[in-house]
Amino acid sequence: MAEHPYLSPEAKLPYCRGCGHALVVRQLSRALERLQLPPRSVVLTTDIGCVGLADSLFPYLHTVHTTHGRSTAFATGMALAEVLQEPDRLKPVVMIGDGGAMIGLLHLAHAAQLNVDITVLVHNNFLFGMTGGQHSALTPLDLVTATTPTGNWTPPLDLLALLRAAHAVFLARQYATDADLDTVIANAIAYPGFALVEILELCTAYSTRWNELTGKTLKEIVTRQGYKVGRLEAELERPTFREVYRHELQSRPSRSPAPETPLPNIQATLAAELRLIVAGSAGERVQSAAALFCQAALAAGLYTTQKNDNPVTQGTGFSLAEICVSPKPIEYTGMESPDVILVTSADGLKEIQANGVWARCRQETLLVMDAELDAPPTPSRLLRLPLRRAATPQRAALAGLAACCATTSVFPSEAWDAVIAKLPGERRLDAGEALRISRQLAAPSGEARP
Amino acid sequence: MVAEGALAAGCRFFAGYPITPASEIYEVMMRELPAHGGLALSAPDEISSLCYCVGASLRGLKAMTATSGPGWALMIETLQYALMTETPAVIALVQRLGPSTGGATQGAQGDIWLAEFATSGGYTVPVFSPSSAAECYELTLHAFNWSERLRTPVVLLSDKEVGMTTEVVDDAALAAPAVVERSRFDGGRPFVPYGFARPEEVPAFAPVGDGVKVTVTGSAHDQQGRLRKNAPEVIEVLRHLEQKVEAHAQEMALVRTDLDPGAPFLLVSYGITARAARQALPALRRGGIRISFLQPQTLFPVPRRELDWALAGVRTVFVAEENLSGQYRAVLAPFLGSRRVVGINKLGGLIAPSEIAETVRAAEA
Repeated sequence: MAEHPYLSPEAKLPYCRGCGHALVVRQLSRALERLQLPPRSVVLTTDIGCVGLADSLFPYLHTVHTTHGRSTAFATGMALAEVLQEPDRLKPVVMIGDGGAMIGLLHLAHAAQLNVDITVLVHNNFLFGMTGGQHSALTPLDLVTATTPTGNWTPPLDLLALLRAAHAVFLARQYATDADLDTVIANAIAYPGFALVEILELCTAYSTRWNELTGKTLKEIVTRQGYKVGRLEAELERPTFREVYRHELQSRPSRSPAPETPLPNIQATLAAELRLIVAGSAGERVQSAAALFCQAALAAGLYTTQKNDNPVTQGTGFSLAEICVSPKPIEYTGMESPDVILVTSADGLKEIQANGVWARCRQETLLVMDAELDAPPTPSRLLRLPLRRAATPQRAALAGLAACCATTSVFPSEAWDAVIAKLPGERRLDAGEALRISRQLAAPSGEARP
Repeated sequence: MVAEGALAAGCRFFAGYPITPASEIYEVMMRELPAHGGLALSAPDEISSLCYCVGASLRGLKAMTATSGPGWALMIETLQYALMTETPAVIALVQRLGPSTGGATQGAQGDIWLAEFATSGGYTVPVFSPSSAAECYELTLHAFNWSERLRTPVVLLSDKEVGMTTEVVDDAALAAPAVVERSRFDGGRPFVPYGFARPEEVPAFAPVGDGVKVTVTGSAHDQQGRLRKNAPEVIEVLRHLEQKVEAHAQEMALVRTDLDPGAPFLLVSYGITARAARQALPALRRGGIRISFLQPQTLFPVPRRELDWALAGVRTVFVAEENLSGQYRAVLAPFLGSRRVVGINKLGGLIAPSEIAETVRAAEA
């Protein structure tokens, strides 16, 4: 083990004279010493900026230098993966500036919500140092920066207040010059969930040159902005992500594949590819009826494809299902010339007129329509059935599909029985009823022409 | 089937964000990953999604996310980070009509350029394009294998039609490759995070958090992972990022072909449109037209040898794709010599077999 497992006392620091970062890295090293953490159990995750120069100062820690603001998110990813480890050891420590905290605010908030085991050290020197002293979301009012030459007039975010609202448990605000900063950092790292320490610093390259800024005036700024200093009152009794997730894992049933009951040997009667459209209303189980049809076709050894269409708002308007069924594998799934069109509602009729399907009806097309609908003139064979009235709107699509199967030979009705038998309780009864009604409807006559 | 393929490949981390038409992949992973001993969670945005995946991958897990065009746009920064840091990750990009919000429930094949040409420096990102549910499973497995083997992000480029069409799959007939793991550092010598003897080699991987110290950075770096400016070694590392992929281009090339050697016509299509192309062939041939067919399942790196083979004796190349800009046609152009190239393009609807056939017949005239 190296004599200096963390920051070597002889290490040449790359920061400007008086920069708070120098104090932070030393206090971080002392914090790690206090905790006696094995270096390889820590991953220093550094953001963009002068904070990101810390990597090479800790040669025995894992170091991950990331993109701007995303250090928190990468650290969260590592901490999440660590949840699957037993035991968990990895401690991501995020070194991020106020600029990074701004661009990556969402990542901080989510990490706090999750309560993942990462520690974030926000080096708040009120500006973007590396790029020349521009202001950030944490710049206090009236501060002169490269982009606020007459003084900042946008009130800063209170980062700790925001994260408190995100249910963070461990939040602290300290000065880089605090003698006990190492203790605060150590406590933050030791906490097995999300911990953030906002460390107030002076940037001696810019902020102290353009402003009257000393340790004393820094404290005045803090008072004026109404910031609380020290450890913030936490939301108590909140479990860590690890605790919640592992409990969640235990309470889920372990996967066991559902026992497959072999399907009876059913022979399909379909000779060639058939294309079928079901057009109805959202909320009337059009798409699930179509799915059942496809499963019945599969039970009879046929290939099927199903595509659904509905308005972007899922619960209202039309509901369409486009089905191809064939004794051979199906390639193209388009509906240029559907062989059968089943229309169960006015919404469905309106949509197939609007989307061009109606115009493509040919003489050979079988049009099965609910008896209540007004059918415009069409060259196609028309079969009107009282689906909505006899089967109810909710069962109209399934009854209609069963009727289509009877009229246009696709597969024997045993295929329906086979898939319906596998449905859970209520759905089985419901589907069985739809099928019974369709058989009644199909029995008396064949087609009806207007 | 994408989710099934990921689980079969050993994916144990998924971070996702809902977006039509990719949300089903996210939902299946949320439901199934815990039972497989993995972790799936919702992220507050797509940036976080891919960052979480890369973090988990740095720790050693196979990781995936799924999105569509608008979400991919947000992931591009992190895609580049994964590429620069040589971190495996699979991104399923299920295309929809764009640009911008576009048509959430409408299919398209308009993100080919966006998927491949989104890295500063133009590094090759492997991209696989399935045309069916079965291929979704198979190609997701291939995507993971290549991502792990080459330590690079990989895109599984699907589309709304392929993703949201339910169809019959014969499990016994699935052509699933054996699962590949990333090559781990085995000790016995000093660990070099981005070390290689020859530029086409893939550096041995050590997880962040295990016993050997790992250095990761998105900055241009030497083999040790140190940021250095103007060092020749840094340029060599950058070259290696491309060369490790290029060197395996032939091995990664997956295609489906239906070749008629000596035919003057070649039809190229991929993704959902490949299905229409396959359907158009028999009628064309019955009408006396001699035509070969090539479906690249690997879009990038371009399957050069397979393309050259299919091009032998061909005078006219048709490229059918559901975009107006002829994106893959433009990619193939430098390899087609002085042949006549005809694009079959459409937006806002499936290209029909009849539309392909009409264009081919018109070209014959």
